[in-house]
Amino acid sequence: MEEYNKLKHMFDKGALSRRDFMSGVAMIGAGMAVAPSLLSGTAQAATPKVGGTFRIGMEGGSATDSLDPRTYSDSVMIAASLCVMNGLVEFDASGKPTGELLESWEAKPGAKEWVFNVRKGVKFSNGKTLNADDILYSIAIHRGETKSPAKGILKQITEIKKVNENQIAVTLEAGNADFPVILGDYHIVVVPDGFTDWQKPIGTGGYTLESFEPGVRLVFKRRGDYWKAGRANFDMVEIRNIQDPAARTAALQSGQVDAINRLDPRTVNLLMKDKKLNVVRTKGTGNRFCFVSRVTEKPFDNKDLRLALKYGIDREKIIQQVYNGFATPGNDHTLDALNPFYNTAMPQRKYDPDKAAFHFKKAGLGDAKIELQASEGAWGSAVDCATLYQESLKKAKINLDVKKVSADGYWDNVWLKVPFCAVYWGRRLSADQTFTQVYGSGSDWNDSNWRVPEFDKLIGEARAELDDKKRKELYFHAQEMIAEDGGMICFAITDYLDGYAKNVMGADPHARYDMNDDRIAEKGWFA
Amino acid sequence: MLKTIAVRIVLGILTLWAVSVLIFAATEVLPGDVASAILGQGATPETLAVFRHELGLDRPAYVRYLEWFFNALHGDLGIAMTNKRVIVEVIAPRFMNTLFLAGYAALIAVPTSVVLGIIAAINEGKFIDRFVNIISLMTISVPEFFIAYVLILYLAVQFEIFPSLSTVFPEMGFVEKIYTTALPAFTLTMLVMAHMLRMTRTSVLSIMSQPYIEMAFLKGLTRSQVIVRHALPNAAAPIISVIALNLAYLIVGVVVIEVVFVYPGVGQFMVDGVTKRDLPVVQACGLIFAGAFVGLNTIADVLAIMVNPRLRHPR
Amino acid sequence: MKLFGYKPTSTAWLGLAIITVFILVAVFADVIAPYSESESVGQTWDDPSWDFLLGTDNIGRDMLSRLIFGARMTIGVALVTTVLSFLIGTTTGFLAAVGGTVIDQILSRIVDVMLSIPLLIFALIILSVFGSSIMTLILTLAVLDSTRVFRLARAVATNLVVMEYVEAARLRGEGLWWIMRREILPNALPPMISEFGLRFCFNFLFVASLSFLGLGIQPPYADWGGMVRDNGKAISFGLPAPLWPALAIAMMTVGVNLVVDWILSINSRPSGASAEM
Repeated sequence: MEEYNKLKHMFDKGALSRRDFMSGVAMIGAGMAVAPSLLSGTAQAATPKVGGTFRIGMEGGSATDSLDPRTYSDSVMIAASLCVMNGLVEFDASGKPTGELLESWEAKPGAKEWVFNVRKGVKFSNGKTLNADDILYSIAIHRGETKSPAKGILKQITEIKKVNENQIAVTLEAGNADFPVILGDYHIVVVPDGFTDWQKPIGTGGYTLESFEPGVRLVFKRRGDYWKAGRANFDMVEIRNIQDPAARTAALQSGQVDAINRLDPRTVNLLMKDKKLNVVRTKGTGNRFCFVSRVTEKPFDNKDLRLALKYGIDREKIIQQVYNGFATPGNDHTLDALNPFYNTAMPQRKYDPDKAAFHFKKAGLGDAKIELQASEGAWGSAVDCATLYQESLKKAKINLDVKKVSADGYWDNVWLKVPFCAVYWGRRLSADQTFTQVYGSGSDWNDSNWRVPEFDKLIGEARAELDDKKRKELYFHAQEMIAEDGGMICFAITDYLDGYAKNVMGADPHARYDMNDDRIAEKGWFA
Repeated sequence: MLKTIAVRIVLGILTLWAVSVLIFAATEVLPGDVASAILGQGATPETLAVFRHELGLDRPAYVRYLEWFFNALHGDLGIAMTNKRVIVEVIAPRFMNTLFLAGYAALIAVPTSVVLGIIAAINEGKFIDRFVNIISLMTISVPEFFIAYVLILYLAVQFEIFPSLSTVFPEMGFVEKIYTTALPAFTLTMLVMAHMLRMTRTSVLSIMSQPYIEMAFLKGLTRSQVIVRHALPNAAAPIISVIALNLAYLIVGVVVIEVVFVYPGVGQFMVDGVTKRDLPVVQACGLIFAGAFVGLNTIADVLAIMVNPRLRHPR
Repeated sequence: MKLFGYKPTSTAWLGLAIITVFILVAVFADVIAPYSESESVGQTWDDPSWDFLLGTDNIGRDMLSRLIFGARMTIGVALVTTVLSFLIGTTTGFLAAVGGTVIDQILSRIVDVMLSIPLLIFALIILSVFGSSIMTLILTLAVLDSTRVFRLARAVATNLVVMEYVEAARLRGEGLWWIMRREILPNALPPMISEFGLRFCFNFLFVASLSFLGLGIQPPYADWGGMVRDNGKAISFGLPAPLWPALAIAMMTVGVNLVVDWILSINSRPSGASAEM
């Protein structure tokens, strides 16, 4: 805390730029929760300078990429879409929804009926002015007869209609206090009413698309008349698809790109020593890495076995060996500590081989072998984690068979199908989304197949509850249920690690995704 | 002679056709399809159905194959199912890139390895022979990404001589392309040289025990003259075969190099296509690779015939 | 000292020494290795120290122990794979050369087709039909590798088929298999043996290249190729981790091929130019 106070003192006095303050905080690992809320009241951020060509080297693209919002699944396309287009709702650094093209909103008590105000005076790059029709169209392509993955989260809308040129009204099937968060889903970006030419998208964003070679490169040019002041400051932006982490890092080190994503935690310390570079770490809001068992299949229907498996994993060791300390231990549910509803009363489960052996014996499975399927297709280091898990279970005299399976088709053939496998979950901004999608009885993605009516009732109540204190109680109880009875062993929540050249400003940690919520091209500038 | 070549060409075309059928069947048999591959976690039975219907995937397999086949005969390789791009437009520049890099590496590697192999054979048992031997053995026992990483570390990051990213763009000039792709070309050269070098050396040496070689020595020719004029032409067949294999590898097998150096060739394109089960893309790439193999093998066979008089005039 | 009646050269002794050491290491792995194959005992990518003579690997296991245990899998699997692929490839290659144009064209076209289907698709099909196991891995690699052996065997044999003594054998009425075994094979040996030596070492890496498909050595067993792959990233930061398994593979390659070279030099008849001239 000492170091943090020192930094803040310097910052308040103007001795540190906002960016250096943030980096300093990130280095201490004080994390996100403290910094932004304190900063919002204090000194002005430095004024952005316009100019320069910003080159980003990113992992998360492929030769099969398309700018059709209904196909977005990975970072390169998401980041590209946000250069040319805008979303409905944006999120501030701490994860609260703020208005983007939907300027503001109001809910009637009960959180079932909402009215959204469309921002006035915004122009598309082809000159057309934004109005409610464009918004309605951009949402409609994700509803009804569509292939869009966003269809599921928009199902809760029973009616959505135009009130006037600048207002739309939405009715939901049940009260949802976090509905605006849903509209911030990265699939939903705004195009003119009736637009279909996804090879050359037109949007309200700060740049126009100059060229697009899927799996290779996208080039953008500054529009100049962007409606957001102080944003879209680069003359040109180049997003280069670099899948190999070593190649990406080399490109940054040799100055061929100015920013890269997804640094390897095992080697990031070496990069941090490089004076020409700046490593930005977002603590605790990255991917949740889990081993999930299906509770309806033998032998995982046995609660003692599930508990044995949860006590038998050495979370600290995995975090140290595989992630070099750049992760926080998960507590067997997918909510992280930055969420206001995180259950702080529950003690962090630790590696306890004795307890694991005890529960395993109680489960009465004798010498049975348990099989865990893992693959690089689940996430890059999944097999390493599984191997360490195998070792730690040995000490509890439990035999784990690790089966390394094909990366190809992992999500088709393994996840949701085999009794025990590796899975990762990205961060969801609302506790409701987190619980409903992963543990709700009605969810297609409930991979532990743990469907408990009492739990559904609990989160249903919490969803419509507008009193934060009551909500907290309900969510705390929900987390206890999942951690105790559920089939998921969530053992680590990684940090995001981005690398930037020293002269890139505006590269701040963000509560949602890396690269400043995939918007670094829009938010950043060169010193 | 001409008849042989003509027959080979016809068979080559038949092979291409067989490859297209097999790749189609193979990709069909694999679990999953483009719809589930693209939608990933977002796939539900409804979204999958819509996606499939859009792409006409709900029609029977033979219908889809025949449609592709007839279009291909007219030079229309179709549209990528994943991002609706016209395949010919996307694949042509990538194929040019692949050929460029393969040619760059081959132009350095082939003459160098054959010459070094001959020198090693001439100086058999001496230091130069052992040195060349051991160095070449060590380079091929290392995986390609390893050499690539080491080269990038020293020549691009620590001493910024060459760029670490070798992506080429159409607007680049020839000299700029040569400079940008120097590292991957060098890596590839190191990977293929050893094989061709050793085969040259071995082949030549194995001929050395033939009676006509002893005769040539008795006639008073030097070791170099004997090797170049009498041993080499007879040793040619296995050498040509290995060269053809390595050239084919340079075109078809360099996906890892493409990934590490971020070079837009056909290899990565095909891997992405297979991963997403994008049939037309996979078919198109398959055709190109098959064409390269068949073409190179045919040339190698023809050369082998030309070089050996006994095969030139069969009885 | 003579080996099978021939005196090994100095380089051949070096090669033999390397091979013997590695085989002994593989056989006595349990006794020699300081740590177990799978236990994580140190920090990730530690530098070499007295505790860990070659440092640690990507999840903190002792590199030296993994190398020792890895000798078993690596050499064993590669050996079986290469022997199989040579059996298949050489037989079919000779057959193509000796058996007449029709057989030749059929076999060559089949091989061309196999070579044109990318490794990825091929491996995926095998995976989905046969499942993944060591046997499947060995078979897949053997079949794929045999296509390359085929091309070479065929080229060599085609050259030999037109020799007078082959024609003489044919006129005598000798059968196909007899000709292949007695006339072609002995004279085709040099390039084939040389190729065997190389392919054996190629296969160390080939085995590991399919690991991302799950067609590989299952954790926690070590194999050298897999170790190079798992630790590969470290080299781009100047960390020596992948050097050790790579060095092991390189030394094995050099060792095997030095012995191969010696065998080849014996094989050339002592009339005229042969090894130590």
